[in-house]
Amino acid sequence: MRVRQRLQTGCRPCTAIAQAAKAMQAIHSHCTCCRACTAIAHVDSHYCPSCLENMPSAEAKLKKNRCANCFDCPCCMHTLSTRATSIPAPLPDDPAKTTMKKAYYLACGFCRWTSRDVGMADKSVASGGWQEPENPHTQRINKLVEYYQQLAQKEKIERDRKKLVRRRNYMPLAFSDKYGLGTRLQRQRSGAPISALAGLSLKEGEDQKEIKIEPADAVEEVEPLPEDYYTRPINLTEVTTLRQRLLQPDFQPICASQLYPRHKHLLIKRSLRCRKCEHNLSKPEFNPTSIKFKIQLVAVNYIPEVRIMSIPNLRYMKESQVLLTLTNPVENITHVTLLECEEGDPDDINSTAKVAVPPKELILAGKDAAAEYDELAEPQDFQDDPDVIAFRKANKVGVFIKVTPQKEEGEVTVSFKMKHEFKNLAAPIRPSEESDQSSEVIWLTHHVELSLGPVLP
Amino acid sequence: MDIFSLQPIKVVQYNINTEELYSYLKDFIHMLYFRHLLVNPRDRRVVIIESVLCPSHFRDTLTRVLFKHFEVPSVLFAPSHLMSLLTLGINSAMVLDCGYAESLVLPIYEGIPILSCWGALPLGGKAIHRELGYQLLEQCTVDTGLAKGQSLPSVMGSVPEDIVEDIKVRTCFVSDLQRGLKIQAAKFNIDGSAERPSPPPDVDYPLDGEKILHVVGSIRDSVVEILFEQDNEEKSVATLILDSLIQCPIDTRKQLAENLVVIGGTAMLPGFLHRLMAEIRYLVEKPKYKEALATKTFRIHTPPAKPNCVAWLGAVLVSCCHLALLTACINHFLSHFWSTSGHTWEPFCVQRVLQPNRPHT
Repeated sequence: MRVRQRLQTGCRPCTAIAQAAKAMQAIHSHCTCCRACTAIAHVDSHYCPSCLENMPSAEAKLKKNRCANCFDCPCCMHTLSTRATSIPAPLPDDPAKTTMKKAYYLACGFCRWTSRDVGMADKSVASGGWQEPENPHTQRINKLVEYYQQLAQKEKIERDRKKLVRRRNYMPLAFSDKYGLGTRLQRQRSGAPISALAGLSLKEGEDQKEIKIEPADAVEEVEPLPEDYYTRPINLTEVTTLRQRLLQPDFQPICASQLYPRHKHLLIKRSLRCRKCEHNLSKPEFNPTSIKFKIQLVAVNYIPEVRIMSIPNLRYMKESQVLLTLTNPVENITHVTLLECEEGDPDDINSTAKVAVPPKELILAGKDAAAEYDELAEPQDFQDDPDVIAFRKANKVGVFIKVTPQKEEGEVTVSFKMKHEFKNLAAPIRPSEESDQSSEVIWLTHHVELSLGPVLP
Repeated sequence: MDIFSLQPIKVVQYNINTEELYSYLKDFIHMLYFRHLLVNPRDRRVVIIESVLCPSHFRDTLTRVLFKHFEVPSVLFAPSHLMSLLTLGINSAMVLDCGYAESLVLPIYEGIPILSCWGALPLGGKAIHRELGYQLLEQCTVDTGLAKGQSLPSVMGSVPEDIVEDIKVRTCFVSDLQRGLKIQAAKFNIDGSAERPSPPPDVDYPLDGEKILHVVGSIRDSVVEILFEQDNEEKSVATLILDSLIQCPIDTRKQLAENLVVIGGTAMLPGFLHRLMAEIRYLVEKPKYKEALATKTFRIHTPPAKPNCVAWLGAVLVSCCHLALLTACINHFLSHFWSTSGHTWEPFCVQRVLQPNRPHT
């Protein structure tokens, strides 16, 4: 039994039906977004998942999105923990005596890998000090980077110079002596840079030496496999798996003895914005340890919730009554009207049963947090029609709908429209002369689809 | 589609309809930005390395996802063969990309890909996996917790491809030329007179906590031979290079032959490069190529990265020098271009970058 609400405004491009729990609502423009497709995500803050330390984005970029203190096991990708042992070490003053010194090593609690397996020496400090393996190609790559950067800069200057040169060709030669521009052209002939581009060339002038790279040399022979490769038995525990290799693309070691641990990858906190109205929908707290939100506009907090309470036995072409509950999430009284889907409704694709909804407008009481503790509260008298409304409790109301399955077998799915009022509570309070109400009332319509289980024979 | 579902989904598929491909690509790129790269898509320009044989439909959908959904500032499509030259600092080379779906060769002369001389064969990781999976089902046995020595089809219908790939990466290798020719002769010899060289030792591969798969030793070196067996059309990975060389203009051939670059994951099999060079030298003496090719010296480069990352490194070099600014398609231009034609542009040639020694005119 499932309830699905397709939110009318804003989710048309997304073919998946948005579950109400995943929908966001922008208060200012009352447009409802499906989180997956219409909300734009922004990166808010970076933090390490194991030490929960916040990292500014500039530092994260420098450290390549890796935490400086935490490591991942290269075998099973679990977080490594630092363990301490005491080893006897000679005193610096008196080599004859030995004291117990603490030595730290990294170990994985899951697969029992330790840093000693790779040959990393134990360290005397608890954190930091672990040496990173050096990529032998780093220098060559850095040189290539500098070379191409310089090349691109040269291109850019030349492109700009070409633009200016073209412009000057339009000036007739007659002007050259009359207006003292001859000096300019004379300077040009002598080869000195012209003033307009002087700034550009001076910048390059600081680093006048041109970076030249040697093109790589090709080799005639490639090393063959060693002779015993064909006959040597393999111990698979010594050979790295493809996944372990690809997690370290620089080295991709074949032997497990060269598999060094990697720093832990950071996670981010995202803030969401509506694509249409550009308002913020969700903004988490900056602190990594806090799970709260500064702004959290979730549709569930504004749209009445539809739940299935009881389903009788559903039989083909027999009308049965299904009990639904409508819960009001806001603190004001809300008016809800249920409407049947019209013929040819584009949202109505899955329904396999006819539904008759109560025709009248339903009133839902506001959500009162203190209601359960207040025993003396008078229940509000709404004069409910017992045919339509089964019960009423605080902000919840039970409603009967009549369902007639139209198919002999399969799931019974009904759909209808729910129209409710939406008060824009966050709007700025207008001066009282302009309008009587302090906030506008807008009517929103949502498509609701209920899946009621199989038809019984 | 739920990006947190546990079933792995292949993102690069050419046969599914556009809607599905759009949603797969959207989720994939979302994960790239918000789980790995941790930046806003609007802040960074994008460089995409692609194969020149990539179907336009895939490229169009990817561009649509990037521009319409993620709103990136600009996108640059760079051919992978060209990018690998940037890592070496050379202008001309014959580049062979041994990948998953196919092996593709493309010669590049003075920074311009000679597009008419391309060559491709469906001999790549996928073909090896298919052959290996077939051989495993035929010949290998499994020890389960309950019984030993059961045949593999009785335990599982087929071995999943990622396990086949792992077996290939960890246990298979490429023999040298002499040994390889003997293995091929033993396979195709009907009367059984040719003898196969002694197979390497068997390997016990743990499938999961209970099952152990015994990989027969002879599979380890024979499966890879499909890359070098010449089928009825006498084509193999090695002939790709030679055939492409014959098609190239005569005065470029010597330089191309002395600058071979091999990239791609399949080229990382142990012993592959040595065997490739030996095969080329062996085939060049055959009558088909002997008269056609005057050049007999072949040299191969070693790029400063593993073969499966070389093309990506080349794209990194392109992007860090802001060349993306010069030749990329920018967002506002593209939205107009889209509405008129609905197609993307053709792959470009990075001319200026790879002519460093020529004076800028």
